Amino acid sequence: MGTMGLALPWKARISSRLRERGTRVEPSDLAGGPSPAVMDALSEDAALASACRSGDLRAYERLYTMHGARMKNLARNVLGNAIDAEDAVQETFFKVQRGIASFRGQSSFVTWTYRILINTCYDARRSRLRKKEVANDDSEETPRHEPRAPGAHPSLRMALERSLAKLTQHQRDVFLLYEVEGFRHAEIAGMLEITETASKNTLFQAKKNLRMMLEPPRSGAAETR
Amino acid sequence: MKIMNITCNDRDRIFEDGTLAEWAALQAHAATCPLCAEEVRAWKSLSVAAKELRDYSNSPSFWPRIERALAEEAARKARRGERWNWFSRLAGLSLGWQTALAGAFVLLLTMASGWIYIVRPVAPVDSDKSLLRSSALKEVESTETAYERAIDKLAAEAKPQLENPATPLLANYHEKLLVLDGAIADLRAQAGMNPSNAQLRYQLLAMYQEKQHTLEEVLEAKQR
Repeated sequence: MGTMGLALPWKARISSRLRERGTRVEPSDLAGGPSPAVMDALSEDAALASACRSGDLRAYERLYTMHGARMKNLARNVLGNAIDAEDAVQETFFKVQRGIASFRGQSSFVTWTYRILINTCYDARRSRLRKKEVANDDSEETPRHEPRAPGAHPSLRMALERSLAKLTQHQRDVFLLYEVEGFRHAEIAGMLEITETASKNTLFQAKKNLRMMLEPPRSGAAETR
Repeated sequence: MKIMNITCNDRDRIFEDGTLAEWAALQAHAATCPLCAEEVRAWKSLSVAAKELRDYSNSPSFWPRIERALAEEAARKARRGERWNWFSRLAGLSLGWQTALAGAFVLLLTMASGWIYIVRPVAPVDSDKSLLRSSALKEVESTETAYERAIDKLAAEAKPQLENPATPLLANYHEKLLVLDGAIADLRAQAGMNPSNAQLRYQLLAMYQEKQHTLEEVLEAKQR
């Protein structure tokens, strides 16, 4: 993916806490430099990377405690079932361990980890597609979602899953990362190696398409006031 | 606080990248515009629906499984590390010492090859399996040339990494390959003088295999 000349948000920091959903506004509008909390998180991220680099398994456990559930949920939404999701998360930890020596700190360590997870999910999806082709199954590769523990609105969830499967991969990933996992556009940009503007635009397109699929506008009433 | 003036035309732009103030203005506008009110409601309901895809339930056996895999990989890595420890120590030496050691290694190799050549058991040509007959020699030489060419291709692929090694490990590989190339050149010269000596060919093959293995590891390091 070409990134030349684009200002990627390398220092995007990922919080292990979920942000509140609703009308989220990106903090880029806020004036001033990074807050002390952001600086703390950056140094915590660097410390975690350094501990993982030294081979300390407790550091990996900490990474798992902070992000394991979110990683697994993201993988499950991309791949459609818990077994593949767990495999993808385990493979991600494995790749982090093998590749930590080459991690240069150009992005945050956690952003880098999620980038590996997303690529691992892409690989798993591709390999599933190849297996299907070998088995002469020509159905399109979209995640088939296994039944989950019932939420508050199971029918809404199923409708959303069906609609998400119809989006482009890119739109689906940005929607899942932003709306489901609660990442900021700066973080998503780092994970998907796109610009923040591209992330915002992709989310907008994704939501517009989902809106059309889930709840088409009732009338073509005059738009402009 | 002054509310900015918003129209229906601003709605999509605010959905895409609106500031807090713009969202507040859109909400105020939606209070008097049913179409925008409907759109804002539908837009927000997508975010609410997205929560349905969130399941952070803990699976107690999952971390132990990952931990086991990581521990096994760490143990494998440690074993591999021991193998290349010698080269790590070599990198810590000054360039002069490294050159001297490389020279000593080549000299040792030459002497060992010479000794093997001198003290090899002399037997009738027909019964000596270590000497290659002319037809077999031709076959060995052509296979060797093809093998060498394949390794050269591999070396060309790894060249950018080796010329500007990004890590100490790559620098070690570079040093190791220089030593191997020296040894290969020496053995080739000897094999040129004694083309029928199978021992020399075996040593040469071992050197090529070591070179191939090293280049593969360089390329593997690049992929990581």
